[in-house]
Amino acid sequence: MSVKYIPVQWSKNKYVYDAVLLVCVAAYILIFLRLGAPAARTTLPVDEQILRMRAFGTCAFLMLTVILCIGPLARLDRRLLPLLYNRRHFGVLTSIVALNHAMYVFGWYFAFSPTPSFEALLTANTSYDQVLGFPFEVFGVFTLIVLGILAATSHDFWLSFLSAPVWKALHLMIYPAYAAIVAHVGLGYLQDARNPTFAVIACGGALAVAALHLAARRKAEPAAAGDWRPVALWSAIPNKRAVVVRLDGDERAAVFRNGATLSAVSNACAHQNGPLGEGRIVYGCITCPWHGFQYRPEDGCSPPPFTEKLPTYRLRLDGEMVMIDARANPPGTLVEPLPLPEGT
Amino acid sequence: MALVLLAIGKAYLVLGAGVAVVFLAFGIDRVEPNARGAWAFRPLILPGLILIWPLVLWRWWALARGWDEQRRHLPPRRAQERLGLALAVAIPLVLAIAFSVKQGEPQGQPAIRLSTPGEVSR
Repeated sequence: MSVKYIPVQWSKNKYVYDAVLLVCVAAYILIFLRLGAPAARTTLPVDEQILRMRAFGTCAFLMLTVILCIGPLARLDRRLLPLLYNRRHFGVLTSIVALNHAMYVFGWYFAFSPTPSFEALLTANTSYDQVLGFPFEVFGVFTLIVLGILAATSHDFWLSFLSAPVWKALHLMIYPAYAAIVAHVGLGYLQDARNPTFAVIACGGALAVAALHLAARRKAEPAAAGDWRPVALWSAIPNKRAVVVRLDGDERAAVFRNGATLSAVSNACAHQNGPLGEGRIVYGCITCPWHGFQYRPEDGCSPPPFTEKLPTYRLRLDGEMVMIDARANPPGTLVEPLPLPEGT
Repeated sequence: MALVLLAIGKAYLVLGAGVAVVFLAFGIDRVEPNARGAWAFRPLILPGLILIWPLVLWRWWALARGWDEQRRHLPPRRAQERLGLALAVAIPLVLAIAFSVKQGEPQGQPAIRLSTPGEVSR
């Protein structure tokens, strides 16, 4: 959580996550370099430089595919949430692998002419008016720039400075970047490769990304009108857990039951806008399921010395129905918890 | 055209470097309380300052006016859902286009005579 920034906040889980990532990437590159040349069966012989650029390029593509699968998978199955915790390190490593791919491309295809490399990249093929032979490199350049921006803005400072919604909007560029890299691979490597192995893996991965995003799409719950909105029967809210209610636009509130009382806060964590309503109350504090940021239910403030705050909401009971005032209080506003009927 | 694009890119990065220096010298401690007294992380944010400097200037201006405390809790959910849907449509489309233009392998194909015997192509 906040207080002071340090370069990287390490924990045991992060060490394990990063170690597994590095081992997997190194293993993939080594296996590709060992098996890639004989398996390539391309129209032209593959030399070592091309093999390396393909090793890093396919690795970056597969890493990006996994990254894009993690979000919907974690939403579909909560047991996969730990994969989400350190996804930013995964993204930074992906951008480094992609940069290696680009450096091998520059060092081979654009290094032996008097034209400067960047200029040669933009002028070597200008067949933008046809699909076959389209300069697929531009898709890769676009994705590389996006990955660079996302990696460069992955530190927690950016979440705080930009605010989580702006940071999130910036990082939504990963969607067009992934579409571009599918085009880069589809119009590039897959046009040349005769061995179907990578084509099957790449298409399977990309189609899995598409299918998972469709499967994880939230059903659009209609938002009720008026200031006071029904949430749920209080007996339907599990102890230490919450129900999430959609308010207006992108706004959602999480109504938590803490023993014999109810409290409501914004469903968006102040850190990375994680879904607080999918978390639970631990040691008296609402705990975000993504990174463990904690807030007091009654005022939405993180316990000292931390400084994060959430908007709070007023609640009342209408018979057994919990009603919420859709007009959010300013972040950190104390709202007395709503007592439930005695004997609960 | 390529030279113009590259010149624009260079100018953008040079301006970004200028903004980064000014922000790190005068802005960061004013608008980000958690950064006060924390120095080791600053080199890590330098590339980001250079790459998205227009956004940095806008946020610096907004934070200096204490402008958006409430908006911090409104994530762009609808935009994400729409982009996820667009991606799910785009992926099979792009792959279908890529495979539809993929050419067959020349090796092993029977040769096709393009001109009659004895004809000399000019």
